[in-house]
Amino acid sequence: MKILVPLKRVADPDNANKVKIPASGEKIDTTGLEPKPNPFDEYALEAALRLTENGQTPKVRAGEVIVVTFGPKECDTTLRAALATGADRAIRVDTTDDKLDGDLVARALKAIVDREKPDVVVMGKQAVDGDSNQVAQLLAEYLDWPQATFAATVHEEDGALLVGREVDGGVITLRVKLPAVVSVDLRIVAPTSVYSTKTARTFKYNDGVRFAALPAIMAAKKKPLVELKLADLTADVAPKIVYNAFQAPPARKAGIKVKDVADLVLHLKDEAKVL
Amino acid sequence: MPVLPEAFTVAVARDFPADFLSTDPSDLATYGRDWTKVVDPAPSAIALPRSTGEVSRLVRLCARHGVPMVPSGGRTGLAGGAVAAKGELVVSLDRMRRLDPVDVVGATVRVEAGAVTEAVHQHAAQHGLTWPVDFASKGSSQVGGNLATNAGGVKVIRYGLTRNWVLGVEVVIANGDVLAIGGALEKNNTGIDLRQLFIGSEGTLGIITAATLKLTRLPGKLDVLLFAVKDLAGVIALFRAARRGPFVLMAYEFFTERCLARVRRHRTIVTPLADPSDFYVLIEVERADAESLEAWVASVFEDGLVTDGTLAQHGTQAAELWTLREGISESLTATGMPHKNDIALPIAGLEAFCDELDRFFEERWPGWEIALFGHLGDGNLHVNVMKPDAMDRAEFVQKTKAADHAIFEIVKRHHGSISAEHGIGLLKKDYLGYSRSPEELAVMRAVKRALDPENLMNPGKVLDP
Repeated sequence: MKILVPLKRVADPDNANKVKIPASGEKIDTTGLEPKPNPFDEYALEAALRLTENGQTPKVRAGEVIVVTFGPKECDTTLRAALATGADRAIRVDTTDDKLDGDLVARALKAIVDREKPDVVVMGKQAVDGDSNQVAQLLAEYLDWPQATFAATVHEEDGALLVGREVDGGVITLRVKLPAVVSVDLRIVAPTSVYSTKTARTFKYNDGVRFAALPAIMAAKKKPLVELKLADLTADVAPKIVYNAFQAPPARKAGIKVKDVADLVLHLKDEAKVL
Repeated sequence: MPVLPEAFTVAVARDFPADFLSTDPSDLATYGRDWTKVVDPAPSAIALPRSTGEVSRLVRLCARHGVPMVPSGGRTGLAGGAVAAKGELVVSLDRMRRLDPVDVVGATVRVEAGAVTEAVHQHAAQHGLTWPVDFASKGSSQVGGNLATNAGGVKVIRYGLTRNWVLGVEVVIANGDVLAIGGALEKNNTGIDLRQLFIGSEGTLGIITAATLKLTRLPGKLDVLLFAVKDLAGVIALFRAARRGPFVLMAYEFFTERCLARVRRHRTIVTPLADPSDFYVLIEVERADAESLEAWVASVFEDGLVTDGTLAQHGTQAAELWTLREGISESLTATGMPHKNDIALPIAGLEAFCDELDRFFEERWPGWEIALFGHLGDGNLHVNVMKPDAMDRAEFVQKTKAADHAIFEIVKRHHGSISAEHGIGLLKKDYLGYSRSPEELAVMRAVKRALDPENLMNPGKVLDP
């Protein structure tokens, strides 16, 4: 199976308290923030790797995993890390975050899909910086492919994927014919979430995403990484979303200490009005 | 439980603020113990001074009425140094947390003894500086306690012990006098260095109330690597290679699969390497450049020093790798009853020592689980003997006492120390003779008697006068 995995580099959410907005409000100041791959995209890569192996021999890939990102030269680090983890080759579309929105990324991805012709695009359900949650859905629409979003489980069948999606009332299971777009949620990296047709259903993965082995990190330097221009992928490079101003959310009011349970009940009744 | 002399409590009520003394049972239970849970706490009261002046007046009063004191910081010690089990008055520095402005030119900062280690880090970090005393309990431990125990930790290989990072100390001695020793001076060759006498004295010579700390620049980009290594000889061979590596070595930690199995039982952890290995090494380095680091990594694989390894690709992965090591101590306690020993050995003799240790336990107590980890870079081994699940607690405690004498006999033969960084406190007091000669102990006693003739400062800890 040939799988395309879009990856986005985001500011480490563990450092989110360092996000600063200058008084002018024209942009978000990202100095001092540590970049890392969007966690949901890391999960997508892990799912793609599991779909192209038999579990027992993770170094042998049945098919191909291609990672793609949109960003400046520094994003090569993110792609190299993905290659070290097991992806076969990488594409970087040279641009910067402020020139992009979800729709433009989806249109550019469509052009890459048209060239690469993967069987499936596996991607994170959303990026943890913008939290837009749009690209997978837009991409499926532009490609006119079936989509299964927020996947918690993916089992490969002959020519299709059986996708479990966690919804409010339980789990919905969809069977999508390939080619398709799948966006993944966090439980996709649980030990028994993803099985290729080559993986025994008794096999259990380690919980979470895999680390890159040191020999693989060094070998990854020799794997192909190509750079594309955004304009080569789509004639219309203007984003539809225009940011006018940025503003921090209002600071939370300080909490109060209550004397005793009776006092707490009083506050819940009179102030919070939840009782 | 012994109670405080009435004249003493009357004087405290008259001369100190109303909230100065607490006898609240939950305070007594909290402040009476440290992280060693072996001894039940039984202090008579907790004093919570707000200034060095108050500490001085309190100590003077204690001297007059013969009230023994236990100085108390963050109580994260592992040798029982802050335990008050005999009706002592606990003197907590909790309310003395002031951080003075950082002197960015001299790279120093004066702080009160109750300042939490991590708060000092954050304070200095605003100026690109740090106080490089760092360990897992930094969120609770206090500067006064760090000094009193000459605390170690995971960065000792890079920065040395606490005593290297202190320029001045303010101490209240047993008669209530305040000594302001040193200051912000790097050079001060004026007689006996009293500052170093108090650092590491575990509260037996006086109460540290403030300190002027020496700071250094924050490290640059850090890389965290985890290696799988075949055996202890491999751990030492890799250390040799790491010492010569093209980077500044910040930490060199090793642990066994047994330790990791305990961590896995206690909490969810990542599995960074494909196959389990008997020994693991975690290395943190300040990187010169990516190419030279990778060339070094390639060489340790080529030389067969390691069987597998990984390099954290970003901060989250680095933190996850550190959790494997830093989660050990807590996981041993959460999943069983460890008997802890913290020993130091010359690195050259480590392997022979561990062989002998293994043989000893196999002969005497086969089947006991030994969880071994430590800061191998400075010869520091944490030897944790786990209580067999079926064995009774009291029987285990009694047997480990016998085992300790045997272990320390081996330590002595290999020219090691029975306490690398945890100190002596209450728990290792009976064994001090394995690491210190009778002549040394006589000098220590003379110092103790000179400074604290009535034996009111943390009595019963370290050694008897």
